Amino acid sequence: MRWATRRHCHIDRAACAWLIRRFIDSEAEFLFVDDADEVPGDATPFDMRGVELSHHDGDCSFETFLRRYELADPVLWEIAKIVHEADLADERFDAPEAAGLDVLLRGLSMVRDDDELLALSGPLFDGLYEYRKRALLTGREPA
Amino acid sequence: MSSGRISWVLLAYRLPREPSTPRSALWRKLRRLGAAQVLDGLAALPLDARNREQLEWLGDEILEAGGEATIWVGELGSAGQERELAARMSEAIAVDYRALIEEAAVAAAQQFGQRRRTLARLRRESRRIRARDYFPPPERELAQRALDELVALVEEPVG
Repeated sequence: MRWATRRHCHIDRAACAWLIRRFIDSEAEFLFVDDADEVPGDATPFDMRGVELSHHDGDCSFETFLRRYELADPVLWEIAKIVHEADLADERFDAPEAAGLDVLLRGLSMVRDDDELLALSGPLFDGLYEYRKRALLTGREPA
Repeated sequence: MSSGRISWVLLAYRLPREPSTPRSALWRKLRRLGAAQVLDGLAALPLDARNREQLEWLGDEILEAGGEATIWVGELGSAGQERELAARMSEAIAVDYRALIEEAAVAAAQQFGQRRRTLARLRRESRRIRARDYFPPPERELAQRALDELVALVEEPVG
């Protein structure tokens, strides 16, 4: 399936792309546009104004994906807190990792294009998932 | 831009008076971003990709709450008005820095453990203020100094 989002990806779009490929559509192909009008008919838009898979009721797009696709994995909801704070910093959640992740992805987006950004941030989210999973299982931060 | 003026992104909006929750949520979010309330229903931020995106999301939230919202990009018609707006934003942020400086002064008199906790909190607060500080007032430097002094106190526990 083809998925479309805005060019110059940052945390929320990078996290959504990872989520799509890992949990929704392993064959996902991503394309990047400047405006919602440019999304081809066969592509599903996300993290863009006025589309279903975007910000809603104060949720970031990653949270919207979890709700719409009924992904109840508690580890994903832990990551959602971090993505939410990195994207919106509205202090709805206590996610100290958010500030660091925001800087890492913002910096990466300055030196890599969108395809490369997604390729590089994927393993980062894999690792974040593994870390949060172990933390959740053992009840303590893994060493 | 050839005029050398600052570009702004503006959110023009109207929200129903009731329910009041979306109104206060919007107010809180605009304040966190450091937006200047130009008029009732018109908020402005210096233009960059992040600020534009954040205002667009707020605009969408307003629409979802049954209001009206449009996003504008522009600059002020005169250099004087631009200076005035920047000075107003600078003064608003100076108030936040001054509160931080006062809290740091209070913390200097606290017990060691409590002082350390206060320092951690003030550091977070300082980061939040700096994130919305587009026209740094002199107080920014003073606040940094107050925090540095507190750090020195925390690093050398006496008795």
